[in-house]
Amino acid sequence: MKIQKLFQRTRFGIFLLFGVIVLCTSALCIYTVDTQLTAEYETNSQNIAKSVADASVDILLNRNLATLQSMIDQFVEIQGIRYIYITSENGEYLAHTFVPGIPEQILASDHANTEPVERSIPGLGDFLEVGSPILAGVAGTVHVGMDQDEVALKIQRAIGQQVILICIFLVVGVLASIWLVNLAAKPLAELLAYAVNIADKREPETTADDLLGRDDEVGDLARLFRHISDQSPDSGAPEASPGKAR
Amino acid sequence: MNVRNGKGQSGEGSGSPAPSLTRRAMLRRGLAGLLAVSCAGWVGRRGADSVLGGLNMVSAQELETGFEGATDDEIVLGMSAAFSGPSRGLGSELYRGAMAYFNHVNDNGGVAGRKITLKLYDDGYQPDPCVRNTMRLMLEDNVFLLFGYVGTPTVTRVLPLLKKFQDEQVYLFFPFTGAQPQREPPYGDFAFNLRASYRQETAGLVNNFLAAGKRKIGVFYQADAYGRSGWAGVRAALDRHGERLAGEATYRRGQRFTGSMREQVEILKSNAPDAVICIGSYAACAAFARDAVDRDLRVPIANLSFVGSENMLQLLSDLGEDVETYSRYLVNSQVVPSYEDTSIPAVREYRELMERYDPAVPEELVKESYSPFPQSFVSLEGFLDAKLMTEILRRLGASPDRDGLEEAVFSVDNYDLGIGERVSFGPDRRQGLQTVYYTVVQEGRYVTLDDWQGWLS
Repeated sequence: MKIQKLFQRTRFGIFLLFGVIVLCTSALCIYTVDTQLTAEYETNSQNIAKSVADASVDILLNRNLATLQSMIDQFVEIQGIRYIYITSENGEYLAHTFVPGIPEQILASDHANTEPVERSIPGLGDFLEVGSPILAGVAGTVHVGMDQDEVALKIQRAIGQQVILICIFLVVGVLASIWLVNLAAKPLAELLAYAVNIADKREPETTADDLLGRDDEVGDLARLFRHISDQSPDSGAPEASPGKAR
Repeated sequence: MNVRNGKGQSGEGSGSPAPSLTRRAMLRRGLAGLLAVSCAGWVGRRGADSVLGGLNMVSAQELETGFEGATDDEIVLGMSAAFSGPSRGLGSELYRGAMAYFNHVNDNGGVAGRKITLKLYDDGYQPDPCVRNTMRLMLEDNVFLLFGYVGTPTVTRVLPLLKKFQDEQVYLFFPFTGAQPQREPPYGDFAFNLRASYRQETAGLVNNFLAAGKRKIGVFYQADAYGRSGWAGVRAALDRHGERLAGEATYRRGQRFTGSMREQVEILKSNAPDAVICIGSYAACAAFARDAVDRDLRVPIANLSFVGSENMLQLLSDLGEDVETYSRYLVNSQVVPSYEDTSIPAVREYRELMERYDPAVPEELVKESYSPFPQSFVSLEGFLDAKLMTEILRRLGASPDRDGLEEAVFSVDNYDLGIGERVSFGPDRRQGLQTVYYTVVQEGRYVTLDDWQGWLS
């Protein structure tokens, strides 16, 4: 005989509790990873822009644009960085990494802007662009474009991995909880069967001895049922093994 | 074994030669160690392994022979160039021209009894392999000097290495690039150039176009240091005339002829240029010329010497159309005279030696098929590079040493290379030739252009 109803709420409660924990943890995880990684990529872009700006001073003053181009070509190999361009103080494009040409959106933008700005360039994608002034802006500005699609993909991957891990914990936790509840319900089921047997005045199953020998509440209840049954005038229940009943 | 300038230990007459470390040898190891540490992260594990392997090689060689790229029998020059990829024609032709002369020198006793040999590596016209090759040449192969490198993006990345090794005096001779970085501080002291610069080539093209009334000049260029160098040259030349670029379009290095350049053509076409100056490799520039004609951008298209004129024309000819269709708008600047002009003594010598030796690129470097040209502007440049290199090595005397290299180069004053223009070097003059030539295609071959007005009309 199985205990079907007694732990239904318990199982539901456990499932609900784990669900809420997973949802809350996932939401927090998504927010934290998204915020921190986005900030990290943005900071990296700003650092790269600043590095290029710092390194560009002498090169620009020497008008050595080939070396300048060589330098930004190396920086643009960094993952997530999609383009770099350097404008003069007059807005002239001194070096860039665009192929086949400088996009209209870039040409139309403020060349001296150093604040982060989001750009959507047809055919290229969505970008977060950061800038850094060269010699406080009097020698020009370095602009670094971070590929938001690529960054979003990386963030999604990071979040996905964490959510998958949390879901695994949820499934394992729920299964473990159900197993533990079932473990607790098993002696109750045996007790119920024992009580039904007593009530029906049938021979107890062989597990009766184990039941009556338990030193927990289930054992106490079994012995109580036995005692009540023995007190009953039309009791026909057989004696348990003397050594095990207490 | 004889050792130069007492820098090693002669084994003659001594039972057990004790290795002596010179100041330079110790310095080299220190520098090499520093380089290994500093470059390990940059070039990746493979490069670091190579550097560390090189340290062992250098130590062993120094202890045994004092070898510095020059022994009693040979002088070893190191060359990293494009022998594979879309620009393989450039490295191959430059090598062939140089070897035609070096073979001739070697067959006639070499330089002070030493044969000149080239230690070759393929970089595919890519910067990172070029840096690795250079470290191998300097640390493992321990070459006497670097010679005949191909390309701006490659050379600009190697220059910091030369500065790092400045106490070793490993110089780069006659790179196949007209870019400024190896002509100016802070790296100008580590290289010697023979050819005219891209600035001179682009200025010449711009001046001639403007003189002919072509004022709206657009630029099509490779998106790297080479392209930027040429772009800057065009911009500066236009600036001197109060003009600005009419438009610009770029392409990625490594572009093949089969790729489309229609986008670039459309970008430039939208600016309605009177002429376009291309700063690229032959595959990309040929593709641009093809697509420009196909899309009705029928204006003069100029190319710099680096393009590899014969390779470019070959690709256009392979289209199966009348070659005139695609080549009639081409004008290419050159830094050596026409190899067709047999009135020039050096050209006669070049043609004779190319025919006699017909040098081939070593098989181990041939990854893709390549059909060399009997003569080409690039191989003529390699030939002249080798001729001047040989003269400089001769001036080093019987005991060639890197310490004397710079002095030997500076002793080249008003030297007749056989092309009419005399060559001089000095502390403030690290480029031998200044002349730029212009060529157009007529009847499937390049001829010298003297009358711009007539050609453009």
